[in-house]
Amino acid sequence: MADVSVVREIDAAARIAPDAVVGPYCVVGPNVTIGPGSVLERRVVILGQTRIGSGNFFAEGCVLGADPQDLKYRGGRTLLIIGHNNRFGREVTAHIGTEPGGYLTRIGSDNTLSKGAHVAHDCYVDDGVSLGENVLLAGHIHVQTGAVIEDLCGVHHFVTVGRYARVGTRTPVRRDVPPFTDFRSDSRDGPCPPAVAGIHDAGLRNAGLKRDEEKELRFALRELFDDESTLQTKIEQLVNMGVEGEAARLCEFCNRSLQGVYGRSRERFRGKVPPEARKYLPRDTGIDLRRPLA
Amino acid sequence: MPRISPHATVAETAVLAGDVRVGPFCHIGPEVELGPGCEIGSNVTLVGRTTLGARTQVYPMAVIGEAPPGAAGAGECVLGEANAIREHVTIFAGTDAPTRIGNHNLIMIASQVGAGAALGDHGIFDNCSRIGTGAVVEDYVRMSGFASVADGVRVGAYSFVAGYARVQRDAPPYAMLQGSPVRVRGINTRNLKACGFDEKDIRELKGAFRELFNGRDGKVNRKALRKLEAAGKRNPHVRRLLAAADAVAGDADG
Repeated sequence: MADVSVVREIDAAARIAPDAVVGPYCVVGPNVTIGPGSVLERRVVILGQTRIGSGNFFAEGCVLGADPQDLKYRGGRTLLIIGHNNRFGREVTAHIGTEPGGYLTRIGSDNTLSKGAHVAHDCYVDDGVSLGENVLLAGHIHVQTGAVIEDLCGVHHFVTVGRYARVGTRTPVRRDVPPFTDFRSDSRDGPCPPAVAGIHDAGLRNAGLKRDEEKELRFALRELFDDESTLQTKIEQLVNMGVEGEAARLCEFCNRSLQGVYGRSRERFRGKVPPEARKYLPRDTGIDLRRPLA
Repeated sequence: MPRISPHATVAETAVLAGDVRVGPFCHIGPEVELGPGCEIGSNVTLVGRTTLGARTQVYPMAVIGEAPPGAAGAGECVLGEANAIREHVTIFAGTDAPTRIGNHNLIMIASQVGAGAALGDHGIFDNCSRIGTGAVVEDYVRMSGFASVADGVRVGAYSFVAGYARVQRDAPPYAMLQGSPVRVRGINTRNLKACGFDEKDIRELKGAFRELFNGRDGKVNRKALRKLEAAGKRNPHVRRLLAAADAVAGDADG
């Protein structure tokens, strides 16, 4: 905030921490909060009810908090919340939520969003996630902690990308990606339908699991995705064996996806408030999620 | 009086209707015309001979009316009413023929419309979709993310272009288009129902589709087309489909 000679348009009602930096040609709207140490490089536009935590960096051309690109949005006091220490590459866009979707789009902390990545309305991006260039997250998606989505992936509405999973370049993701898996649409023989192609080893390393837990998880992953046509039976077998920890969570994740619509467990939140909205929507907004939806 | 940010640059000869709003750091050129109720966000560039109809919304960082690279002189761009042009969209101006966009279209983030392209009404173009130079997209078309229409190609009304699909030759109306190069995967029932088509229309169209596109190569079955034409179908939608299929089949590349 120190350099007053910079040309920019900051609404008088915006709340910006004293040591946050707002560069030239930036535009900050009235209902925006920017935490300490966050940097808006140049030509960054922040609109809507957007709350940004500390230590974030926004490169040139980012537009955050604009209206959702969804016909069910008809205005309303919906929010975009961004945590701490995220890096936003050039021309990243993220939209506020919709009322029927739970009022909230949330990006957690320590995420990297590369150039042109898009986080649509009612998405929940957890922590330590990496989105490649031009990754498109359609609405109502949950990207869990540590997931990596490589360049040019398009993710369908209501998909869940599991913890520490990887989605290979240019993969159309139409169903849930199980945690710790490597999900892709190319093989040594050329393009193939998007599917689990193996274990995401780097993800397993990053998760910092105990040795026994990792061993059990690797066993479960091999069992489950050796042949996906027998997934349901394999899940039951593993559960009967009494797997614990991450392996048990993996089974639960896959089970839920199988019960969903087209392999998407979050479809059950279509037209409903998802649990994440109840968890993350700030109390001070005065929004009552128990009220019937518009 | 239009509400123009003190940080916007608006040429003196630009024509702005009374209630237009222009955000900061916009650049509006001398031959631009904005209809009533237009809302121009921040950092938007409108140049060339560009006309925006009433209630057009342009979001930050969009660029409309620039001539494509290598073109000589300024071009023309005509947009109808109530279009939403989202962040980072580029709409090139046509120098030979104007780029035309109808009414009530939603053109999503980072999409691109080539010079001289013609879009109909009520289209939805998902993020990063690309309409080639001189391409024609008819009414009620929906394109998914990363989909593209090649230069000079026509996409028929009510069709759906799936994500990542590349439409490289003329595509019929009412169709689900998928793959690269694109194939007709059937009829776009969902969109037709949403647009108020009745069960009978859909049933007849479905029957015609089944016969016309029964091959693995996704091309029009000429024999079936001649048979359907001879059958003298009365349904206007089926007739429209047959006329389009005839044009597609008559094309040099099939």
